[in-house]
Amino acid sequence: MSEKKYWKGIEELRNDAEFVRLKNNEFFEHLPVDEKISRKAEANDVTPRRDFLKFMGFSVAAATLAACETPIVKSIPYIIKPEEITPGIANWYASTFWDGYDYCPVVVKTREGRPIKIEGNDKSLITGGGTSARVQASVLSLYDTARLKTPFANGAPASWENIDAAVSKKLADIAAKNGKIRILSSTIISPSTKKIIEEFTKKYPGTQHVTYDSISCSGIIKANKESFETAAIPSYRFDKADVIVSFGADFLANWISPIEFAGQYAAGRKLDNGKKKMSKHIQFEANLSLTGSNADKRYMMKPSQAGVAIANLYNAVARMTGAVTLNVPDAGELKNAIEDTAKQLVAAKGKSLVVAKSNMASVQNIVNGINVLLESYGSTINLAEPCMTRQGNDDAIKNLWKELIDGEVSALLIYNCNPCYTLPDADKFTTALKKVELTVSFSDRSDETAGNCHFICPDNHYLESWGDAEAKKGYYSFSQPTIAPLFSTRQFAESMLLWSGAGNNYHEYLKSFGENVNGWESKLKEGVHEMLSQESTAIKFMSEVLSASASIVSTMKSSGGLELILYEKTGIGNGNQANNPWLQELPDPVSKVTWDNYLCVSPKDAREKGWNNNNVVTLKANGVAMDVPVYVQPGQTPGTVALALGYGRKNCGKVADGVGVNAFAFSRITSEGIMYWSNCDVAKSTKDDYMLAATQLHHTMMGRKIVKETMLENFIRKSDSGNEELLIPIHDGEEKKKLSPDKVNLWDSFETPNHRWGMSIDLNSCIGCGACVVACTAENNVPVVGKDEIARSREMHWIRIDRYYTSDAAEGDLSAMEQPSDNPQVVFQPVMCQHCNHAPCETVCPVVATTHSSEGLNQMAYNRCIGTRYCANNCPYKVRRFNWFEYTTNSKFTDVNPSQSELGRMVLNPDVVVRARGVMEKCSMCIQRIQETKLNAKKESRKIADGEIKTACLQACPTHAITFGDYNIAGSEINKMWKPEERSYHLLEELDVQPNVFYQTKVRNTEAGEKHES
Amino acid sequence: MKQLHFTFRCCYLLTVSLFVSNFSFSQPDGAALFKSNCVACHSIGKGVVIGPDLKDAHKRRPEDWLIKWIKNSQAVVKSGDAYAVALFNKFNKIPMTSFNLKDDEIKAMLAYVKAESEKAPPPAPAASAQGQAEQKGGNTFLYLLIAAVVLFLITTMMKKIQHAMEKALRHKQGLPEPVKMKRWESFVHWARNNKKLLAVAFIVLSVFGSVKGWYALAAIGVAQGYQPDQPIAFSHKIHAGDNAINCKYCHFGAEKGKTAGIPPDNVCMNCHKYIKTGTLTGADEIAKIYKALDYNPETQTYGKNQKPIQWVRIHNLPELTYFNHSQHVKVAGVECQTCHGEVQNETVAKQFAPLTMQWCIDCHRTTPVKMAGNHYYDDYHKELLKKYGSDSLITVERIGGTECSKCHY
Repeated sequence: MSEKKYWKGIEELRNDAEFVRLKNNEFFEHLPVDEKISRKAEANDVTPRRDFLKFMGFSVAAATLAACETPIVKSIPYIIKPEEITPGIANWYASTFWDGYDYCPVVVKTREGRPIKIEGNDKSLITGGGTSARVQASVLSLYDTARLKTPFANGAPASWENIDAAVSKKLADIAAKNGKIRILSSTIISPSTKKIIEEFTKKYPGTQHVTYDSISCSGIIKANKESFETAAIPSYRFDKADVIVSFGADFLANWISPIEFAGQYAAGRKLDNGKKKMSKHIQFEANLSLTGSNADKRYMMKPSQAGVAIANLYNAVARMTGAVTLNVPDAGELKNAIEDTAKQLVAAKGKSLVVAKSNMASVQNIVNGINVLLESYGSTINLAEPCMTRQGNDDAIKNLWKELIDGEVSALLIYNCNPCYTLPDADKFTTALKKVELTVSFSDRSDETAGNCHFICPDNHYLESWGDAEAKKGYYSFSQPTIAPLFSTRQFAESMLLWSGAGNNYHEYLKSFGENVNGWESKLKEGVHEMLSQESTAIKFMSEVLSASASIVSTMKSSGGLELILYEKTGIGNGNQANNPWLQELPDPVSKVTWDNYLCVSPKDAREKGWNNNNVVTLKANGVAMDVPVYVQPGQTPGTVALALGYGRKNCGKVADGVGVNAFAFSRITSEGIMYWSNCDVAKSTKDDYMLAATQLHHTMMGRKIVKETMLENFIRKSDSGNEELLIPIHDGEEKKKLSPDKVNLWDSFETPNHRWGMSIDLNSCIGCGACVVACTAENNVPVVGKDEIARSREMHWIRIDRYYTSDAAEGDLSAMEQPSDNPQVVFQPVMCQHCNHAPCETVCPVVATTHSSEGLNQMAYNRCIGTRYCANNCPYKVRRFNWFEYTTNSKFTDVNPSQSELGRMVLNPDVVVRARGVMEKCSMCIQRIQETKLNAKKESRKIADGEIKTACLQACPTHAITFGDYNIAGSEINKMWKPEERSYHLLEELDVQPNVFYQTKVRNTEAGEKHES
Repeated sequence: MKQLHFTFRCCYLLTVSLFVSNFSFSQPDGAALFKSNCVACHSIGKGVVIGPDLKDAHKRRPEDWLIKWIKNSQAVVKSGDAYAVALFNKFNKIPMTSFNLKDDEIKAMLAYVKAESEKAPPPAPAASAQGQAEQKGGNTFLYLLIAAVVLFLITTMMKKIQHAMEKALRHKQGLPEPVKMKRWESFVHWARNNKKLLAVAFIVLSVFGSVKGWYALAAIGVAQGYQPDQPIAFSHKIHAGDNAINCKYCHFGAEKGKTAGIPPDNVCMNCHKYIKTGTLTGADEIAKIYKALDYNPETQTYGKNQKPIQWVRIHNLPELTYFNHSQHVKVAGVECQTCHGEVQNETVAKQFAPLTMQWCIDCHRTTPVKMAGNHYYDDYHKELLKKYGSDSLITVERIGGTECSKCHY
């Protein structure tokens, strides 16, 4: 067999150049797929009969050819097998994710030495095992083809020896003439790296370390310095607060430590086990953020109003608590809102928390003042346990910039930040950069900044690195490499260690650093080493800062025109991981738009100015003008527009380049720091409409109870409030009566003798962050399809998060009900295959490719599927996904689908098949995990423990909204969750398809008749 | 008297062996322990492998000494035991691996060694007989072929004779020559006269053709019997057959994970560090292992230029199927040979089973599940027993073993 060789034709025998070029293509001939589906062809898209016959004939020929030869597969064992690896069995390593922006202790799943999945480390007291979409996606960034393969010197590949020699010599020369050396980095939370920088400074005394966060919280640090003489960000405890008030801070998705805060927030609002108390969350903001959409009460506020509003809240609280008020202007239209908020805050004194996003120290000083009056310090805020994840200092970056322009800096080392992209007026920074004698970037790619540096010394990916982290004082976590560096890259810390002459091996340095010596191995194994939390100490508030702050705040006035606010998206964030297709394809939780940023416009402004979705407008602010598409966003404050940061990357990689526009260009540096809002002008452009690709086009529930919700007071009174038993009218002979749907069912039940798997989703805990969506993508090899396909509603995500807005329309007025309110209440609902016991999909499949298992799961045999799509049409939940293309080979997806490159394929989960073209796929309830756990139990001759099986979505969830388990075990968690007499219900229960997935009613902490005011 | 004594001894042995086999549940299985732990270095009565031949080892040393030695041979050597030191030196100072076994396990193993030592040497394998059988099969076909050719020749000749005689007769009687028909015309003429026969033949042929065609199509992609050349002329017969090395010594993944695994080169070196010449192929094939590891047998050092051996994969289960060895080997206790055939007799490994879905399902339909004693099944087992009455009726299929998502995800 191995001797035989079959030729596909004479061309192969001759080895024609043309044959060689074409042989890796799926088809030998070029098929005009792209042309067929381009927008131009849409207008008259008819396939002539002859073409059809040609295609069909070709397919038959291609299939015959492909079937002729059985390829010879090689089996290559290890030469010397590492002791800990058994092929086919996953190894887990504890590590820490930190990219200068997000922090998360993680455990990394590796298969045959390849990291393939990230899970949260549940030993961490900070994150409690939670993750976020960005953390989940970070494993794919390891296999990014845009990463540099070698270091670069003056634009050409170089060796590390040459670079070390050249850099050391330059540094020595600069030190000899007492030149200024500057290290510009994002926040560094690694104590050992900080120490190495100190060593470096010792060797080169002209060195200064400038910390710069692209999205800065410098104002909070400065305010705490002024208010309490502690230049730090405190720990916040959202779980201990009964009333949470946030002024623009998107603490569930982006602000300071979102995974931690999301977990705390949900803990304070869970209503399981008979709990009847939850926190109240009031949000004041300009654009509808993820946090704002979860708020019980949301007020729309312009960014220019924030300072005065906060100062007025101070005054209101001060009046109620008998403190001295400040001299500030009236809050205008927000007056009642602030009065009302103050009342609730004071009522919950000692158990309330006020936070604000503003980067102005004066505003944050007043926030501190409010929290002091409310006695939050010591209960919901702890200054003795400072949070280290934002240390950027805006004054320092301003200073550095000045030095650069004056040509005073001789050497600039840039680590983990991208100032030529993220700074306002980045072009000027780039020009100034060129004056520097020695510029070194540690970026992993030749991006906006690195491309302008003399040397690029690419840093390892975090999964290839050693490291330590102190995200909060006393809370240590550690990183260990889970794979040897894929390319010739080197850790920043190791480079600095070498150049400082304090050592030559960072791993050794780290092991012997500080306390690490004691129990190093066990610390690495656990991943986290968290001391007992630091008790809050008595604080001393410098109340004199308030009046000065109040006078600064009083000068903030609305110009009367439009205001632009720059925000971070849940997926892309600050743009660090913009080249990650999983994040680009993750729909924004609120707008549901993928692969773009766009100008969010309030419905009121859109109506008045005649703007519609996809219209292109010219946005002008701070002397910068850009054309951006419009997206009409309910909840956007009238008179404001919003644009997401993190897009418009250049030289970042083929996924990110050319996606959206760079909103950092609209930020500005003032005497107070970097500001992420400004006045702006928007005018309709003459350009053609620009297509935005959204995964959800219908925004309201049209009066149906898809997401059931109720108010807290009603829930306290009646535990099935909002979830009253559903009865459907039927005719029984002449008699009309109402019965529950399961009484009128036609089908027989399935037997589930051993296991019956079930899932509960608590809509009260789900914040809609999308971590589950990315986790599912990683676990189940879900293909990336790109913007064009999403615009055709062909996204492949197995789990989606539906977002619904409330409508102001009267019940029954169907066309008006389609329109969301201008400031709607928002609900999120994750929907995946509901694994119905009476599944409508199973009965219509002509080839029995989808069937029911004896464990209650709806199973899908991909290779049996012939692609009729009857099942998808008959599924009431629309959770089935059809493979329209061979995403892993079709050239249409080369730029977006990571599986098209050898490197990108390394992330695939080998336990889950990559589906072929033409078959249907859907959530399998992570059947590979169920089967693996069952097998382990059988091997160990034991029962499966309750909660032992965790689906990917469940494990990723930062708020623990999902429960999974076996109904057949009496007293299991899932059995306890199923309480139809309280909050549990099945989606579309009137159909009685008897899903194994159920939801828990959402409860809002609002009062009767209360809704968000427009 | 002697006769009687012998008979008595036989009876005694038989009883004991019956007892042993009856109680093998509760006692450690010496044979299995020996095969999984010792055969890599020792044989019983087949000469030195790496360590000494263990034939009559029980006679050479007392049992408690052997137990100590097996548990930690180096400790015994260090204690200055003269026999131990001599043994260590005799076998090139290669320390024997220490085994973390219980005393009764070692005793069971020693009992096995004793039993094996007393057995007569096994008869030579019946390879020649098998070869003859194959030869015979080949000859039958040849005879048939020759017979067919001879028959064909005879009929042709007879036909010619008949033709010539008819012609002669016609000539004699003065009858005219019949009209010469073309071949096609004569066929049509014949067909008109034999309509029924033709119809039957047509039906038979088309049924036969469809059945054959169906099976031919079903065989596409089935590589049963696939036996490619491998980079090393590795013989399972020598390793697993003659030297009785347990399959799972090399394919150690079989009890742990999804794949049984091709052994890494370092596993080969456990023995081939010492065995440098093979029985069939001499030193050449074993040298290929050294080359892969860049190992110098003279200096016993490893170089840096290591290149893995690229074996040709034989069992190519399609990617759409999830198969886990440990489920079958560890949980169900299926013998390797059930799916892989008598590998221990194969010089070149080949695909024994068709690996088709039908083959999988057929087995799942008939094989009872090993539920007793596995606590995973505790309650479920009781329920199923109530339903089906007997363990042998609880097949894999009956616990959902033929459902799609057991193998396809």
